[in-house]
Order: sequence, then structure tokens, then C-alpha cells
Amino acid sequence: MNSEQFARDLLGPDQLVVCVGCGGVGKTTLAVTLALEAARRGRRALVLSIDPARRLADAIGIDALDNVPRDLPRDALTELGVPEGGSLSAVMLDMKRTFDGLVERFAESPEARDRILENSIYQNVSEALSGSVEYSAMEKVYELWETGHHDLIVVDTPPAQHALDFLDAPQRLLEFLESRVVQMLIHPAFAASRFGFRIFQQSTRRVLQLLERVSGLSFLEDVSEFLLAFEGMSEGFRQRASDVRKLLLGPQSRFVLVTGPGRASLHQALEFRERLQEYGIDLAGVLANRTHRWPDGPADAPPPDLVCADEDIEALAAALEETCGSEFPSLDAARAAVATATDYAALVRRDVQATGELRQAVRETGSFWASIPELSEDVHDLAGLGRIGAAIFGEKA
Amino acid sequence: MVNPVATALTERRLIVVTGKGGTGKTTVAAGLAVAAARSGHRVLAVEVGTKEAIPPLLDPAGPPVGYAGRTLAPGLTVMRIDPYAALAEYLVLQLGARFVVERVLANRGFRQMMNASPGWRDLITLGKIWHLERMEEAPGRPKFDLIVVDAPATGHSVAFLDVPRVVVSAVRAGPLRRHSQAVEDLIEDPERTLLLPVALAEELPTRETAELVATVREKLVIPMDRVVVNGVASAPFPPGLETLDDPLRRLPRDARFGALPPAGVIADCAGFLSARHTLNRGYERQIAELTGLPVVRLPFLLAGATDTEALAQLGEALLSPPEVAA
Repeated sequence: MNSEQFARDLLGPDQLVVCVGCGGVGKTTLAVTLALEAARRGRRALVLSIDPARRLADAIGIDALDNVPRDLPRDALTELGVPEGGSLSAVMLDMKRTFDGLVERFAESPEARDRILENSIYQNVSEALSGSVEYSAMEKVYELWETGHHDLIVVDTPPAQHALDFLDAPQRLLEFLESRVVQMLIHPAFAASRFGFRIFQQSTRRVLQLLERVSGLSFLEDVSEFLLAFEGMSEGFRQRASDVRKLLLGPQSRFVLVTGPGRASLHQALEFRERLQEYGIDLAGVLANRTHRWPDGPADAPPPDLVCADEDIEALAAALEETCGSEFPSLDAARAAVATATDYAALVRRDVQATGELRQAVRETGSFWASIPELSEDVHDLAGLGRIGAAIFGEKA
Repeated sequence: MVNPVATALTERRLIVVTGKGGTGKTTVAAGLAVAAARSGHRVLAVEVGTKEAIPPLLDPAGPPVGYAGRTLAPGLTVMRIDPYAALAEYLVLQLGARFVVERVLANRGFRQMMNASPGWRDLITLGKIWHLERMEEAPGRPKFDLIVVDAPATGHSVAFLDVPRVVVSAVRAGPLRRHSQAVEDLIEDPERTLLLPVALAEELPTRETAELVATVREKLVIPMDRVVVNGVASAPFPPGLETLDDPLRRLPRDARFGALPPAGVIADCAGFLSARHTLNRGYERQIAELTGLPVVRLPFLLAGATDTEALAQLGEALLSPPEVAA
């Protein structure tokens, strides 16, 4: 797939682009780059980020964790080549607030809502219910999607301990709420009447009571109270979770995998890819960020072998002497210059080799692959984003 | 706030290594453990995540070390604290009813509920670490001289270390309060314990490290006396030629010297490495300034530290005193 096909497939109208990958590889930067490219193609694009670098956030005009999309001013857009009708907005997610919003929406009554929000179990719920952080991110995506204000949303997924927590999170939350032990805590009488439950219940209760005795906490009470309050909203919640999942796995979603050239991130990228395949998701493309590229070579090509004969070093030394004057230790300088070229070539070679397995696998399935060159500076302004965009989509006229 | 003057790491009993994913936290923990073991200390490296990351570095073909742990190098034991295993051990110790405890802990429903309950994993993990610190081989002789913990990634590590304090303030009496107090005493003791943040000399990790150190000072009492800055690009040119990239850039880009790449390509390579070095050193200074802590610099390694030898070298650099003053 070439970059134009990739752009058309990825950045079509009414699409959701989900950027996945492990932390620290520049996922946020690439998510913003994709949204910018969409805007340049006339889309009303929105990028949702979890925790962008401060200066990048400043560059795209988000200055607070407030769940409100901010639009990039028109003159900045024009400078970036975004046509009339195209726009770029960015929003930074406040996960706790999103989850609170969910409770507010689905609670049966104001009393139930307060009971949940003030419960000590709930207050720790975003940490405790594994995947609820990821879930709240996807919930926000759904909410923004539903407003229809944007015709393309790019999501920068939160770094997760397990590759695709955000896909499993709604399911896991529901499974937990519907689990036998939860039902038993909510409806002890009902559970007790069922055969096979009694022994379980007795032993569980016994350990819980022991835990309470050791801990001095009203553990059971807090858990049951939380679950009771939560039960009332579980119907609305279930529907919502299922809608969110449908959107994520639906035909309007495109997944882009971002990786770095390092061993750990490539290893995780291969894992991500497998897990996505288990869900029946084909990656639209893989972006290998921050790979070293030989200065005058094509992407993903090994560097030339550097042979340096003494007379070549001497010729370089002579040229340096001409530039700097005869005081200059030109022979040492020429050797040092060639040494840096050799060092840099080693970086290029390492990255080309390290990315080889994933690159080949991606190309075999016909998905898009792009290596984005490591820049010697941080990317923290719109010009830097433009350079990255050019590396993915080619230079614009 | 306790910031003891940087002293030898191996004089501590417990070093908790933390940092954002991708900073090389695990490599630093492993390197520190290997180097300390080589210098004659009996070291225990502890993992707290769901996946073992240190054992594959030291023993790539071996089975998981698990809760029981395994000796992977002379003087170096590695284990992973599984919270459920630690909970079972604790409950059996406290209550004695092994049969009931094991049956209930194995129950799926019970696990689902425990999965939803906050804090206990962190508390039981820290409790186990406390227990390991107290273990004695013979009266007065601890089983391990040094325990190195590969802690959860930055965001979670503050909550992780804060749990004993929260419990002590929430629970008035009983064994849990007593045990939590003992754990808190250990992690707050500057003689015994050190929190070792690992950063990269780049924009985002710099900010996150500054935030971590500020939060730790605000919320916790755990001692810190240095920051490890990992993967710092070394100076590309020898002394006396520090600005070599400039004359290289002034050569005609397409000038050729025999089989060497064109002058422009050589200038690009030199320029890149020089800029990277300058950038890294700039952030390294920023980390020292923002945290007020001295910095231990670890060099960028092309192939990473993937074997015991490379880890030992990194570890030796770690054991030397900090280089960049705050």
C-alpha cells in the first residue's frame, strides 16, 4: 500500500483512527500528525490525547486537562495548508471526570449517584477495576463521536499494562458486575438458596470476616454498598459499554500501530499485532517512529559499508584545512569525522535490522509501513509535525 | 523532605527503582543488582509486575523465577512478588487455617472481588518486601544485604509507596496497623531505603521525572538522593574538536573523497550526533535543576544492555558517585 492509498483509507470521512503502541514511542506526536494530515485533506479532525508533552500541547493549543476540545486558530491552520472547511481540534482527557460523568448519567437517582461517588471503593475504582482507565478513555471517544462535531477522530490510546485493555475493559467491567460473588454480595438471600453456592458463600464469608478482623476495615460493607449502588446503573452502563465496543470494532475504525526501533517496543508491537488479529482487526498501517536513516539513502535501507583508505582521510583533511586554515588539526578532524559517520551508520544498521521482522510481516499482509526518521531535535511545534507528516505522506507541493 | 547526601548505594538495604516505561528502569534495576552482587553483596532483585522482565536478561532460556525466586548469578537471587501468593502467605501466617485460605484464594469469584478491591496488592507486596528485609540467615545476619525493587512505572509508584501511610492513618488498631507502620518505618528510613528515579534526557521524561520527584516530596517521606539519567549520547568528537560539525557543514555537500560518503552525508552524521549530545546534556542539566538532585549519567548503548556483562558495566557506573551536581 502506498502513502496515498493509506491516507485515503485512513483519513476518510466519519472515521475513527485508533493509535496503539507502547509508551514512550511518540504515539501522541503521530496521532496529532495524522489529525493534521486529515485537516489538510479537508476533514474536521479531532485528536484526543491522554498526556501530551507540554510543548506539543501548547503547539496544538491545549492547555488544560478539561475534556473540552480546543480548536486551532484559523490563521495557524492556513499556514499549515489546511483548506477552508478543514479544521483541527484537540482534547486532553481527564479520566476521573469522565468516569464520574458516566456515573452521573446512569445512576438511578441523585442519592444513588452520591452514594457511588462518595464510596471509598469507587474512589479507588479507576485504579482498582483493571481497565477502567482505558474504558473511560474509550467512553470519551464515544461521547465525542456521538456529538458529530468532527468527521474524523484520532485517538491516542493510554499506555496499558496489557496491550489492548481498552478493548477488553467494558467487557471485563460487566463480567465483574455480573459475577456470582458480586451477585451474592448484593443478594445474599437469593444466592444462599441456590445449590452449590452455600459452601462457597460460607468459606468466602469466613475469609472476608478474617480479612476484616486482620485489617480492621469495613471491607465487606464498602464493597456491598458500592455494588448495590452500581447495580441500579448497570443496565444503562451495559448498553453503553456495548455501544462503545461496537464503535471500536466497527467498520468505521482504523487501527494504526506505532512503534520505536528499540527491542522492547518492537517486541510489544508484534504482540499488539497478534492480539488485534485475534479480534479480527487488521492494522491499517504501522509507523516505525524515530528510526535512524542514512542521510542520502532511502528509508529502511542499510547504510553503505564505510571503507576508509588513508589517502581518502588525507583528502578530507586537506579539504578541512582549506576551510579552517592550516592551524586546524585536520588529520585528527578527518578521522573524527569519519568515526562519527561510522557511529551513525551503526545506528542505521541496528534500526534496519531490528525493524526487519515487523516490516516484512506488515508488508506481506499488504498494510502500510512507514519509517519516520529520528530527528536530532524534539518535535514540539507545528513545523516539526509537518516534517513528520512529510515522512509518512510525502512532501506536499 | 529528606534528601541525604548521596552515599554509596550498597550501604542501603532497600533500593526502589522507578521511572516511566521506556526509560530503562528494569535495566537499571538489573544492572544495579548484578554489580552489587559482583562486589560481594548478597542481593535480592524483586519484580512486582505481572511479567518477569529481569530474569530474561540474566537467564534468557530459563523458566520463570516466580514467587519462590531463583539464584541467577553468584550472590544474586531474583523473585517476582505475586500479590495472591503473598496474601496467602500472610493469611496463613496470621490465621493458620491453610486449607480454608487456599481454597478461598483459588476461587474465581473471590479473585474477581479482590481484583476490584483497591490498595491491598500494593500493601501486601510492600509487606512481603519488609518481611524479606527482616529475614535472617543467622541471628544478627540478614539473609540479603541489599534488596532492589523494580517498582511499577512512574504514575503508579507514588500510590504504591503511599499505601502503608494511608492504612496507618485509616486504621486505629490491630495487626494490620502494626504491620503497615513497620513497612512505613522501613520505606521512610534514610539509612535503609532509597527511591531511585530513572529518566531519559528528553522532553517528556524530563517533565515527568520532575513531577515524580515533586509529588514524592509532597506526599511521601521516602528518601531520594540522586536521579539516574539513562541513554545519554556521548560526545561525538574528541577533546579539542568539539565544534567539528561546523567546518564539516561548510564543505561543499557533494565533495567526494575517494570511497568516503559525500561531504554532506558526513556532515549530516556528525551534525546529528552532535545535536543529540547537546540535547541530552541540556535535559540532563534540566533534570538536575528541576529536581535539585545530583544526576548519575548512564551512556547510550547501541545494542542495549542485554547480557550480564553489559548489565554489570552499567551497574558499576551506577555504583559510582553522581556526576552532575544539582
